[in-house]
Amino acid sequence: MGQKLLIVDDEAHIRMLIEQTLEDLEDEGVELLFAENGEEALNLIKEEEPNLVFLDVMMPKMNGMEVCQIVKKELNLAHVYIILLTAKGQEVDRQKGLDMGADRYMTKPFDPDEMLAVAEEILKV
Amino acid sequence: MTRQTDSKYYLKALKNILRKGKDSQSALCDIASKLGLNFGVIGCDETLLFGTINEGFQSFSLSLDDVVYGRLLTSNGDGRLLANMLMVLVEKELEKKKIGNEVLGLYREINMIYSFSEMISEKIDEKSIAEMALREASQIINSTHGLFLIYEPKQNKVVELASFGLNPEKEKNIHKLNVLLKELISRGTSAIVPSNKIINNPALKHLKTIMYAPLKVKHRTLGMVILGNSEEKEFTAAELKLLTTISLQSAGALETAHLYQKGLQEAKEREEAIRSIHEVSQKFVPNEFIKSLGKDRLTEVSLGDLVEKEVTVLFADIREFTTISENLNPEDNFLFINSFNKRMGPIVRKNDGFIMQYLGDGFMALFPNGSQTALRASVEMHSELRIFNEERAVKERFPIKLGIGMQNGNLIMGITGDIERLDAAIISDTVNTASRIEGLSKHYGSSILLTDNCKNNLTHPEEFDFRYLGPVQVKGKQKPIDLYECINGDNEQLSKHKLATLKTFEEGMKQYFMKEFAMAAVTFQQIVKKERNDSAAKLFLNRSAHMITQETGDDWKGIATISSK
Repeated sequence: MGQKLLIVDDEAHIRMLIEQTLEDLEDEGVELLFAENGEEALNLIKEEEPNLVFLDVMMPKMNGMEVCQIVKKELNLAHVYIILLTAKGQEVDRQKGLDMGADRYMTKPFDPDEMLAVAEEILKV
Repeated sequence: MTRQTDSKYYLKALKNILRKGKDSQSALCDIASKLGLNFGVIGCDETLLFGTINEGFQSFSLSLDDVVYGRLLTSNGDGRLLANMLMVLVEKELEKKKIGNEVLGLYREINMIYSFSEMISEKIDEKSIAEMALREASQIINSTHGLFLIYEPKQNKVVELASFGLNPEKEKNIHKLNVLLKELISRGTSAIVPSNKIINNPALKHLKTIMYAPLKVKHRTLGMVILGNSEEKEFTAAELKLLTTISLQSAGALETAHLYQKGLQEAKEREEAIRSIHEVSQKFVPNEFIKSLGKDRLTEVSLGDLVEKEVTVLFADIREFTTISENLNPEDNFLFINSFNKRMGPIVRKNDGFIMQYLGDGFMALFPNGSQTALRASVEMHSELRIFNEERAVKERFPIKLGIGMQNGNLIMGITGDIERLDAAIISDTVNTASRIEGLSKHYGSSILLTDNCKNNLTHPEEFDFRYLGPVQVKGKQKPIDLYECINGDNEQLSKHKLATLKTFEEGMKQYFMKEFAMAAVTFQQIVKKERNDSAAKLFLNRSAHMITQETGDDWKGIATISSK
């Protein structure tokens, strides 16, 4: 079965950047999904149960922290690997994010090569 | 790009439209149904990407710039329109990808600059800033040579901080072209120098193209970064912009590093100043005194700190100083005192003592290790004084005489005064007695006088020779004190004499205290005859002679009472 990767960010250009960055994964049969706010993300996660989620923290309609908490603590979807994305300088959120059950943490601006490598490592492609 | 990679790239765009582009898909399906046809799409890799294909379908190739990336197959001949539409969509998708890639490239740069500025701001020395800047620049800008130069205002010279790429003549050229480099730096501009302009420059003969950017902080230029390439490939404007950005970040870091070094230097100087104040303060208040109070430094001492200790108190005094000083002007007086103190201080310290106070024509010293050290110091001081006097004799200056008196006892060292004015003080009866004993040395004409207390405290009394001078009633003391003269402080002639007549002197003293005054007078007369400078013998000769005519009661114990200090 093909794997799914969800990209959640309220900014369209960031979604495009991540898509561009992770495009090569599509050749490996990974389906890229997108959501532009927390609510939409939560619905998609419930429906599709993606293998990996890049989740922005600062978003309207339920922020990334809340989404993460619901997914991990309420829905108990442990197999949905969540990587939180926050702006540099907001590293204080790091521990909070990990407490919410996030599996990993990345700062923006992200290093595209690192992001692809991390996704490949987690999806084992 | 080769045709093969092109076709792969186009195929990818085709796949994106057919798999992800829901709007495009429904548009395609709409048109197909209007045209009344079924269709399928096959990629150039022969995989079915969309729809279904039956035998007898007509094929329309999908291509861009003559590069075929797939086929559209339709159930009848009207498929051309559909194929054209699909090709337009692919072109649009490719354009989108192209922009996306450009944006991603810019994003990569932002990320690089971001992490570079973060990393470089942690560097605090020039060299590692320069090295990091070149490393980063060479990673993102294709270059074979790099040079990080700064202008050193102190030397009025441009110097290298870091470089990469082989160039055996680099140092020579930096030296030779220093004026030009200085000029370039002062301009503070950046530029790409094309190959036709550097071809005639022998210093750049190993390169095909170079570009440089200034290390600018506000309006000042600290230096420049130069990148070069030995391959035939001109730098682009985008690369120059990147180099300028890196240079700007580096300049900021350099400035911070300079400020940091300056701050460090100032802190060092402050520390040095404090240290020297500490050193000077130690000279005013002896460190031993502070240590005795259980403190490490003067600043830790506070009003009321005190300690009680048994020590030997020594007073040393220049004889007839008033007469000497009358003949000197104030400045010479001071010079004279200092030349004397300069010689005595080290002897005191050498014997584990410290000078508690200078008293104009002498000083008070404390010896925490007891009278053995104090007496050693006394003997040494006298022999040093003889050397001093010999030197003075050469300059036709009169000799100095020194009297030393000492006493052993308990003493309270402490900090006295008020909150605004503190002083190291000692409170003790021992000090008074020691001072009086020193005063007595004039009376007895002795170079060193000590009390029985002091003599009993000696750990190695055999090192010295003594004459017992009897009990003395010291002013302010209730009990008389037994007094001894240490003869080792006298000059060679006198001490030899005193040693030779030691037994006779003791005999005389015994006779004196037995009230056999006539006998005593004769005994002392024998000694005085041998050496007219034996003051103590002379004194007891006079006392004995005087006592012959005096009535002495049973309570007479020969206690001397000396009223003059």
